[in-house]
Amino acid sequence: MKAVLIFPERCIGCKHCELSCAIAHSQTKSLFSMFSEKIISKPRIHVEVGEDLLTFPNKCRHCNPAPCIEICPTNAIVRDESTEFVLVEYSKCITCGMCAIACPFGIITFDKTPNVMTNRSVNLKCDNCIERVEEGKEPACVEACKTNALVFGEINNLIGKKRKNITKTVTKSPDEAEEFELPENIKLWRSMLKHEAHSNKN
Amino acid sequence: MPKNWKPEDKSIDQATQEMIKKAEKENIETIWDRLEAQQPQCGYGQLGICCKNCFQGPCRIDPFGDGPKKGVCGATADTIVARNLARMIAAGAAAHSDHGRHVVIAMYEAIEHGAPYPIKDEKKLKSVAKKLGIAVDNREIKEIAKDVIKKAFEDFGKQDDSIINFADAYANDKRKQTWKDAGVAPRNIDREVVEIMHRTTMGVDHDTVSLIAQGIKASLGDGWGGSLIATEFQDILFGTPQIGKREANLGVLKEDYVNIVVHGHEPVLSEKIIEAAQDPELIELAKKYGAKGINAVGMCCTGLELLVRHGTPIAGNYLQQELAIVTGAVEAMVVDVQCIMPSLVDVARCFHTKIIDTSSLATFPGATHIKFDERKADEIAKEIVRTAVENFSNREKNKVQIPKGKSEAIGGFSVEATLEALGGSLQPLEDAIKSGTIRGIVGIVGCNNVKVKHNYNHITLTNELIKNDILIIGTGCWATACAEYGIFLPEYAKNAGDGLRTICESLGIPPALNMGSCVDCSRMLVLADLMARDLGVDISDLPLAGSATEAMTEKAVSIGTYFVASGIFTHLGTTPPVLGSQEVVKVLTENAFDIVGGAFYVEPDPVKAAKTLTEYIEKKRKALGI
Ligand code: SF4
Ligand code: SF4
Ligand code: SF4
Ligand code: SF4
Repeated sequence: MKAVLIFPERCIGCKHCELSCAIAHSQTKSLFSMFSEKIISKPRIHVEVGEDLLTFPNKCRHCNPAPCIEICPTNAIVRDESTEFVLVEYSKCITCGMCAIACPFGIITFDKTPNVMTNRSVNLKCDNCIERVEEGKEPACVEACKTNALVFGEINNLIGKKRKNITKTVTKSPDEAEEFELPENIKLWRSMLKHEAHSNKN
Repeated sequence: MPKNWKPEDKSIDQATQEMIKKAEKENIETIWDRLEAQQPQCGYGQLGICCKNCFQGPCRIDPFGDGPKKGVCGATADTIVARNLARMIAAGAAAHSDHGRHVVIAMYEAIEHGAPYPIKDEKKLKSVAKKLGIAVDNREIKEIAKDVIKKAFEDFGKQDDSIINFADAYANDKRKQTWKDAGVAPRNIDREVVEIMHRTTMGVDHDTVSLIAQGIKASLGDGWGGSLIATEFQDILFGTPQIGKREANLGVLKEDYVNIVVHGHEPVLSEKIIEAAQDPELIELAKKYGAKGINAVGMCCTGLELLVRHGTPIAGNYLQQELAIVTGAVEAMVVDVQCIMPSLVDVARCFHTKIIDTSSLATFPGATHIKFDERKADEIAKEIVRTAVENFSNREKNKVQIPKGKSEAIGGFSVEATLEALGGSLQPLEDAIKSGTIRGIVGIVGCNNVKVKHNYNHITLTNELIKNDILIIGTGCWATACAEYGIFLPEYAKNAGDGLRTICESLGIPPALNMGSCVDCSRMLVLADLMARDLGVDISDLPLAGSATEAMTEKAVSIGTYFVASGIFTHLGTTPPVLGSQEVVKVLTENAFDIVGGAFYVEPDPVKAAKTLTEYIEKKRKALGI
């Protein structure tokens, strides 16, 4: 199964993934024309700040079993058989918000989309860029992310890489291990951010 | 919009907190709300590793080393960071130097075309002329002035490779030799800025060291050129600052008066506004409108220019500009250039306040435009004041809330006034340093940065250093912070270490001295240079350090760089966008020592920074054998 794995420690909060997601889901698929479309496309990935000004690009995990599918009273949310992605049939979505309540990651938002004939809001969550994936491309957010905070691939391969890192990490001394992999200047930058986040509180 | 922060977290100053609360209650958006809305801020930008110098880009380098390592053209992170840094210096140097140019032009207009700017300080004119090698004996003031103006204009326009006149006249030989050896002596104030733009355009200079060297050159054209010219010409035209009592903080606004806040950087206009605010006819008019009179106060560096020369109260520093309007008691905020938030117009819309823009360089959509012209300075200033007075009747009394907070402060420590306070020479200060009663001097420069709790770094660093018997001199928003906190009072010396306290008490001076606005950082250079000459060493040998502890603007980058290039170890309390290149960081924080005798040091914690600066000063003392 292919999935997008997130490495939050590599996210530098540029929000390029958000913009690319919006472009990929716009009608013209172009940065320069999308803002003059009738319904302006919205991102389905959300980069928000958490502790110490660190960021987390949060998007649909395409869970299995998916709480949103289980709870949806109109069966508007379905699983694509070949990719296993969790998709929304916009015409069936009644905007009841049950899926948003059930989603453990809080990533479901409701908005208008040109893909539904009526002029109402629907569950607009990430579709893992199924159209792009079927063309053999990566999801738009993954392609946009130049720091590899988002990686698309066979989930077990990706996890395997992460596991190797973790093995290295735990076999190092604990204080060294904590920020394993981060280059020196990035460590410095992170510590400056941390200071900034805290200095306003003393 | 629910906030993730409390006003108490954003400023150490109560008057400021009170106004943040008022803004919150009245749903007025301020800079702190906008910072929150900007989160997360893009890491490429913060690290300085995005380039949009040509439209094949923007290009971004992956700071983790896995993604793109080069821009489309092949530029590396090092190149991109160095180019971006050089451009910041160019912008900062350009701002200061253009300010300097405007003052020279005002003097030129006065001498040649009768603009209403009589020379107020003939003594200063003569001393500047002498430094520049211009004959003064038995000559008319006007003739001397013409020659001084010519030397200044040359520095902006000459095309040969020799060092600019002002740097040549003001810097000691050892320093000039250092610059010559490093190839960083400025040739022409404007040219160094233009050359940065040339070098950093697509496909020109890609070497970190030569890019930084050009940045240094432009910054020296600022510190020992544009800024120095601004200071010296302003002193000649408007008077050299003298020591005297002033008041600071939002509490200087007055309930029953027409309040005019002059904000920005250039005193050429604000000088005239202060004059016009004292015009009996306009005061009469104010009374007709039901006010008790006119209360003209300053803000940011324009405010400091007026404060050090005329004792005009100052309503606040950079982060307080919106809050002055939030008091509901400001009839007009008159703005010129630099550090003026475009949001002022939006905040003013919630009140009767008029924002009046005056500079031909700076137009604010939504403001009232009354553009300045040197030759008609008096009339224009009166028109501006009249506009404010006439606006008094629009004030909504129920919206007015002026915080009580204001403090007294001694200000006006120009080099001349400082020498006078010391009895005519630097000897007493130098003796105190030699004997160790005072360990050294740290120059702190302006800026607030919304990412730092307002005034916290300024005050904490100052307090920590004076405890260690280090005398502080400084300018800009730092100076306003200290004025608001009562640090500029002689009694504050009780918080200093024993040595510094004794000296302050015997001279009747505070432990920190306000030298003026941010262009007046040049005064600190002149002081350092005098001291180096007296002791027969280079500036880099002296127990001195610098700090920009809440740095924010491109001007601060230029100031920091000319401090470093003048041989001064310089602390930054906020991070400039350079961390994306370890090589650039190394050049700035290490290699610079070998080239110009000074270097940068970044530390966000002011307590830790004070410790490092103190240790540095002690190291310098040891090397000097004192
Ligand atoms: S919307 Fe939420 S619950 Fe549904 S699949 Fe995505 S992450 Fe899982
Ligand atoms: S996978 Fe596609 S739809 Fe989902 S967040 Fe990324 S860009 Fe948006
Ligand atoms: S593009 Fe990558 S680094 Fe940028 S915000 Fe998105 S996940 Fe983070
Ligand atoms: S100059 Fe080079 S690095 Fe900069 S935008 Fe153009 S191609 Fe990219």
